Amino acid sequence: MTRRRLPEWFVLLLPAIVVIAAVVLIPLVFSLYSSFTPYKLTRPATLWKWVGTYNYEKILSDGKFWAAFGRTVLFLTIVLNLELLLGLGIALMMNKVTWGQRSLRTILMFPMMFSPILVGFQFKFIFNDNIGLVNNVLQSMGYNAALPWLVDGKLAMFSIIFAEVWMSTPVFAILILAGLFAMPRDPLEAAKVDGCTPIQTFRHITLPFLMPFIYIAMTIRSLDVARAYDIVQIMTGGGPARRTELLWTLMSRTGYVDSRMGLANAMGYVSIILSILFTIYFFRKLSAARAQIGMAG
Amino acid sequence: MTEVNLSNVIKDYGKTRAVHGIDLGIEDGEFVVLVGPSGCGKSTTLRMIAGLEDISGGEIAIGGRVVNDLPPRERNISMVFQNYALYPHMTVRENLGFSLKIAKADQTAITKAVDEAAGILGLRDLMDRKPAELSGGQRQRVAMGRAIVRSPDVFLFDEPLSNLDAKLRTQMRVEIKKLHQKVGNTIVYVTHDQVEAMTLADRIVLMRDGHIVQVGTPLELFNTPVNTFAATFIGSPPMNLIDGVVSGSNTINLAGGLSVPVPSRVRGLVRDGQKVCFGFRADNLMPVGHSVEEEGEKHELELTISLTEPLGTETLLFTDVAGNEVQAKMLNPRPVRPGETMKFQLMLDKCHVFDAASSEAIRG
Amino acid sequence: MDRNQTYRNRKRALNAVHFVALFITMAIICIPGLWIVLNSFRPTVEIMAKPPVWTPSFTLEHYRNMFGGAGEGGVPVFSYFRNSLIVSVVSTTIAILIGMSGGYAFARYRFPGKAGYFVGLMLFRAVPGVALSLPLFIVFARVGIIDTHFGLILAYVAMNVPFTIWLTDGFFRQIPKELHEAAEIDGCTRWQAFWRVEFPVARSGVASAAIFAFLTSWNEFALASQLTRSVGSKTMPVGLLDFTAEFTINWGGMCALAVLMIIPALVLTFLVQKHLIAGLTFGGVKG
Repeated sequence: MTRRRLPEWFVLLLPAIVVIAAVVLIPLVFSLYSSFTPYKLTRPATLWKWVGTYNYEKILSDGKFWAAFGRTVLFLTIVLNLELLLGLGIALMMNKVTWGQRSLRTILMFPMMFSPILVGFQFKFIFNDNIGLVNNVLQSMGYNAALPWLVDGKLAMFSIIFAEVWMSTPVFAILILAGLFAMPRDPLEAAKVDGCTPIQTFRHITLPFLMPFIYIAMTIRSLDVARAYDIVQIMTGGGPARRTELLWTLMSRTGYVDSRMGLANAMGYVSIILSILFTIYFFRKLSAARAQIGMAG
Repeated sequence: MTEVNLSNVIKDYGKTRAVHGIDLGIEDGEFVVLVGPSGCGKSTTLRMIAGLEDISGGEIAIGGRVVNDLPPRERNISMVFQNYALYPHMTVRENLGFSLKIAKADQTAITKAVDEAAGILGLRDLMDRKPAELSGGQRQRVAMGRAIVRSPDVFLFDEPLSNLDAKLRTQMRVEIKKLHQKVGNTIVYVTHDQVEAMTLADRIVLMRDGHIVQVGTPLELFNTPVNTFAATFIGSPPMNLIDGVVSGSNTINLAGGLSVPVPSRVRGLVRDGQKVCFGFRADNLMPVGHSVEEEGEKHELELTISLTEPLGTETLLFTDVAGNEVQAKMLNPRPVRPGETMKFQLMLDKCHVFDAASSEAIRG
Repeated sequence: MDRNQTYRNRKRALNAVHFVALFITMAIICIPGLWIVLNSFRPTVEIMAKPPVWTPSFTLEHYRNMFGGAGEGGVPVFSYFRNSLIVSVVSTTIAILIGMSGGYAFARYRFPGKAGYFVGLMLFRAVPGVALSLPLFIVFARVGIIDTHFGLILAYVAMNVPFTIWLTDGFFRQIPKELHEAAEIDGCTRWQAFWRVEFPVARSGVASAAIFAFLTSWNEFALASQLTRSVGSKTMPVGLLDFTAEFTINWGGMCALAVLMIIPALVLTFLVQKHLIAGLTFGGVKG
């Protein structure tokens, strides 16, 4: 007997597909179209003028865009690696703690509940050259020159990276810690008896087991790397003199301040592709790592 | 009357066929065990009876009613799962009463049925616990209780004992048997353990690769296996099998230079030069002086012992015939040293001859 | 000196290093947040003092201004709080219903292209909020739902659905499929089996997925800052900007609003932290 109906799984997935199509896909198609027009918010008629790949040619030949693009990739590379290393370190330290582990873990989750924009304001406050906590402390310790944390290009980049790492390291730490908890004890003990040094044990036993967890964290992070936009927007707005300009701040300025939507959408597409590449890369790594330790479902 | 009838039931998973047209009639009140190695289609067959798998072809009828496309809830069956599948968020009482509650039975009826089932299975002290607080055997019992409460037409058991330790398994086996005697429903029971099949079944259905190999009472399967697979799967230790060639009409030359007479039962059914498989159980190869005194066709052999396994009342003797391990049984055992050569007597009329090419039994 | 002694000393030294490092880590994690809380209670003069004042005095000035100042040119905190709450709660509820249904499909059904669907849905989550806000702004303006609760709720539902699917898929997968089979044999329809057996068992997991979605909506800025304009629809993260003027920032007031924002998030996260971790890792590792 054949029943010609939509399969149940499809019915169950349908609402999700519809909502996402309506709210994400359609606007994206629209923005793809508008990225081929000189659309300016202030002059709606420009939406119907087709300029082909003009916007893309323009941004691809624009030094400022490439500077922002390069800076974004560099920023992501530094930030993700730093978060991974610190997260791994924190997880290993937490795993060794014998008392109060639960409370420590709760504390560790604090930064995860902060709104990115709040993190931005918080560090804008703390790194404020005049009344910020950091300079106040330095001053009280006798170092009198107020460091221009958010005004000097290099220091500003440092401050932003600090804020971003502060906000996102716990994601790594928590997930890696979960991996450490789930880790079977036997191989560790066998390695110890077999004469492995702690470093060898970590390198050959612990780390391979943790890889899937690390990639989960990476995947989750890569899903919203663009959160950094909130932080940068608040802390420096891409300044000073574009020294901290990332793809996202450049895009938002082009779109909302200069009203050049077509151009901004072209940049948006570059940023979307960048995000998607990151995500796909880590999804791949995740399934490879899963297969390696035989957890594939 | 709730007999279960399967006719030409087929199950395909994509392009692979898991069950190849099974025909099986199960009588009312019968305890039927589907047994076979993993992947033989026994669980799939059970799940098709339950309605948890769609059937790709053929017909399943329960109590004379074709149920091919009925959802499980309309088949009036109950099932005990391998991992029990107790509802973890409900107490034992709620677990037991769930099916009646879904059926909107009134509260007094539910209480009565639950209480009765709890009494049968000795669950009265555990009624307010959650499954997580129960031991393996207790969970098993709750799962059975849940099946009883519905008073279904047919009970289905899917490897219910395989998660229990050996001792508990023996104990629960007895309880399942008692339960069947008490409630008398039709039971279809799936297991990969031939001991469970032998001890529980009225009738065993032996399956392999999606086909039924043999259907019969435990003793039929034990005494007259239809092929070498049935011979080695049923019975412990498995039947000894040695390759051989028929020579003349009265002798089989076995690998390793031994030769045995053709048992009179199959004389005339084998031809000269036919390749065969000669099979016998350890119980039918016993050292002279340590055997059962029994009338019948006998043949004496000398074999060298390679290993012994004393079990108390008897000792298993392992010998080696041209690379085949052959097991013999020694009653009233005395110590035997490996390397010792002993004289054995083989009960010829209990031996089996299988055609080597088709591995089917040759039978008169 | 025997080797035992050497190892014992090394162990002690390592313990000390471990303790100090952990202490510093925790300090770095805690101090920024505490600094915000502390400053929400300090008078503005003291915040701005040069040289810094280290002995804090206590005042409720900022909170009084925040709650009392509404309507007189101050920041309409109540409206922002209400907007945030409405938008977050409604979008979370819808996202959970839709996401749970999707997650269930992934956990329980086999269908062609399943991995593709999954990654595809996740990729939509990867679209940066800023990049989405540009076209969404235009589309919403055309449809006329810009600056409304409805528009923002719609956007947040779409944003939260993929991740909710990831989480609930993980939780449903943890539940053995025999459970709904048993329920179906016990007489349930598939729908009943879900609501009476599988959903209650996965409840805590679903709750943590809900809280995750709630926090995402509660904290979101990039979309909200463009899709909301007026007091009637602005959420708290957008409201924070009200404390900044061209060159000055009302730090004390901002800290007070920040505390108001963080408290619900803190409580909720604390409630579900255990399930949250389980959900994230199950969804990923066993996926």
